[in-house]
Parts: sequence; structure tokens; C-alpha cells
Amino acid sequence: MTVFGELLAPKYLVWLIQGFGVTVVLAALASLAATALGFVLCLGRLARSRWLAWPVAGYLSLFRNTPLLIQLFFWYFGSTALMSEGLLEWLNTPHQLDMVVFGIKWPPFEYLAGFVGLTLYTSAFIAEEFRAGVGGVPAGQVTAAAALGMTRYQIWRHIVMPQAIRIAMPPLLGQYMNTLKNSSLTMAIGLAELSYASRQVETETFKTFQAFGIATLLYIGSIVLIETTGQWLQHRRKLIGAPL
Amino acid sequence: MDFTVIANNFSYFMVGAWPNGPLGGAALTVILSVISAIAAAVIGFILGIALAMTRGAWHTGLLLFLGFFRAIPVIMLIFWMYFLLPILLDINVPGTGTVVVALSLIGGSYLAHSVHAGIRSLSVGQWQAGAALGLTRRQVLWSIILPQALPIMVPSFINQWVSLIKDTSLAYVIGVGELSFVATQVSNREMVFPTEIFLFVALLYFAFCSLLEFGANRLALRYR
Repeated sequence: MTVFGELLAPKYLVWLIQGFGVTVVLAALASLAATALGFVLCLGRLARSRWLAWPVAGYLSLFRNTPLLIQLFFWYFGSTALMSEGLLEWLNTPHQLDMVVFGIKWPPFEYLAGFVGLTLYTSAFIAEEFRAGVGGVPAGQVTAAAALGMTRYQIWRHIVMPQAIRIAMPPLLGQYMNTLKNSSLTMAIGLAELSYASRQVETETFKTFQAFGIATLLYIGSIVLIETTGQWLQHRRKLIGAPL
Repeated sequence: MDFTVIANNFSYFMVGAWPNGPLGGAALTVILSVISAIAAAVIGFILGIALAMTRGAWHTGLLLFLGFFRAIPVIMLIFWMYFLLPILLDINVPGTGTVVVALSLIGGSYLAHSVHAGIRSLSVGQWQAGAALGLTRRQVLWSIILPQALPIMVPSFINQWVSLIKDTSLAYVIGVGELSFVATQVSNREMVFPTEIFLFVALLYFAFCSLLEFGANRLALRYR
């Protein structure tokens, strides 16, 4: 087994870079979708109606307390049995995405399953971060706003939400970092992201140190980047004293 | 849906090929979780206390060390350990050992920060009062700080242990025969029931995590 030895051939470096690209795009898309869904779930969880709050609570608990790997297996292997044949065929045939100018290629099924799995899993955590943010707004402010004659919607829109989002921001960044790391699990359903690529390079070249080393550096580098961006944002917000 | 596939393979899901082969399935998941949870707690306490008691270069070095394990994906660390442990220890390390080492390091790194935060949440006056009574820093830590800081840390420990249970499923990637691995085996063998199988396994994990959360919270309330 070669420990350091010669440098990896350019071909393998390209594999790793491509894998990293998939990791970044997947994590970014899943984070975006999970933030939107998590926000909606948080609203549902806080709803006055039990018929809404309880099922959402069940969703959050179920998705947070089962391993992402099993959820990915479920979406990849298990969901096909639940779909109609027509839908399955539609999902597996390439479509031109017309709304996008560049005409992105229709992704293979493992990409869809990976994206859906990662998004649903992450959304449960993000919903809880939003909920903690709402909980962090002093109750007196809501009472005060009501005393000023604001409607429930106005209180929510102008008093609670802006502050809740600000409180939830740092933990939300933590969730985005988790999403980036968690995207590595999609290798188990054959999605060619960074971990998958590093494993592939390793089996082909036996240059384990380089294959895993480069992948690890790319992961850690992007985590550090997210963290510093977050700290910079926090710092700047403090400097200019601006809300958000 | 047809859940006879679960009934037909029930003992394989629970204990793997045991007693005719190695222990696997849900039983192995529980064993992996318990060992990793204890090891992670020990590492977390030692490094968390070290974080609280060190200054300067040692402190920075420790932060970087912990930062590495918090930034690396669990799968990557399992790959590294799978490759490095036999070289470093010069022995054949079984897959279960590899997973336990990787999970304890990551869990311990997260817990170290929780332990540190718990210690830091107490006012400096406690340390000063202890010092005024003539206690050494170590005595203050053991008899004044930790007893107060422990209840503050309990929720972080429970969260981290739940994460650990879920992360044992990643042992799958190096072929350790725990619950997830067994599930894919059965799914591949039976071909036609993936929905039922993964639903059942998900519920099993859900039961483990919920049980831990519920039980630990009740225990914590009783000893508050």
C-alpha cells in the first residue's frame, strides 16, 4: 500500500472535484428546501389547532429520531413500491426543465431520492430551530403588541418573526453545516458525491491517504468557510446595529 | 403492504445469525450504541474539563483537535479509522471496534463543548469562593463546580446519545452486521418488500431513540 507516494493522476483529482461539486450543490439545494419546509412545519407545530399541531409534532419526532441512512434507503428502495407505475416512469425518464434557461439535465433517481431524503430529514431539525427562535421572543412583547391593537397576523409578521429568525440564525448555520456533512450518507444509495468519489479513487489507486485526505480537507474547508461567514455576518450585524 | 416478511425474518432482524453465527441486527446496534455512548461521555468529560482548565497554546490546540472531529463527516472518519487503526495499532481491528472508535471520538468532541459550556455557565465567584476556603482548583472543580454543572449538561448528553444511536447505522458502510446492514441484506434477498422492511427498521430505531429520550429525561427529573 502506497502511503504518500506519487501524486494522484489528474483524472482522479477531477473525480474528487466533481464529487465535491455534487456535495456542494446537493447540500445547498437541500438546505434551501429544508429551510422553507422547516419554516412551514414550525408554523404548523405552533398552530392553535390540534389537528395541525399534533401531526406536525409526530413528523418532527419521527424524522429526527430515525437514522438518515434508513430514511435514504426508504426513499430510494422503498418509495418506488408506493408510487404508481406512471409516476415512476415519469421520474425515470429524462425531462427538459424548461423553466430554467440553461436546460439542466434531469437527475437520475438516486439524486431525487437523496435530495428528498436529505431535505425532509433536515427540515425537521430546522423547524425545531425556528420554534426555539420563536420561544426566545419575550412573551411580554406579544402582550404589548396586542395591547397596541395589532392583529395576530401583524404581531406575528412584525414583532415575533423578525426576532425569531435573528435568534435562530446561528443554530440554523449549524444545521447547514450538518447538511453538508450528512450529504455524505447519500453515497450509500450510489450518489456520486465527495465520499463516494474518494472511496472510488481509493479502490482504483490504493492511494488511501491522498484520496481520503483531499476529501477530508474539502469537507473541513467548506465547514470552516460556513462558520467564518456566519461569524462575519454576526460581527457585521453588531457593528452596523442593523436588524438582520 | 405485506408485513409477513418481517415476521419471517424477525430473529434475523433482532440478533442476526446468532447463535449459529456472529451476533448482529438490533442487538448489535444496542451494543454499539451503549459502548460508544459510555466512551463518548468519558472522552467528553476529560476533554471538556481540560478545555475549562487550560489557557493559551494548550487550549487552542485542544480546540483545533475538537474542531477537526466536529467538522469531519462520520462516514469519512469511519473510512479513516478503518484504514488507519490497523496501521497504528499493528493488529487486526474488527469493524465493530472501528465504528466504536469513530463514534466515540465524534460524540466525545461534541460533548466536550457541552461539558465546557456547563462548567463556564457557573459564575466565577464560585471558583473564587472555593479558593478563598483554601481549596485547590481541582478540589473546587470536583466538589463545587461539577455537582452544579452536571444537571445543566444533561440535555446535551441525551441529544448526543440519540445522535449516536442513529449514527451506529453508518457501520453499514464497512459491512458491520448491525440493524441497517441486516435490513439491506434481507431487502436484497427478498427483493419485493423494501417499503415494509425499511419502515419496520425505521420504527425500531425510533423506538430506541424515544425510549432513551423518555427514560433519561425521567431519570434526570428524579435526581434534580
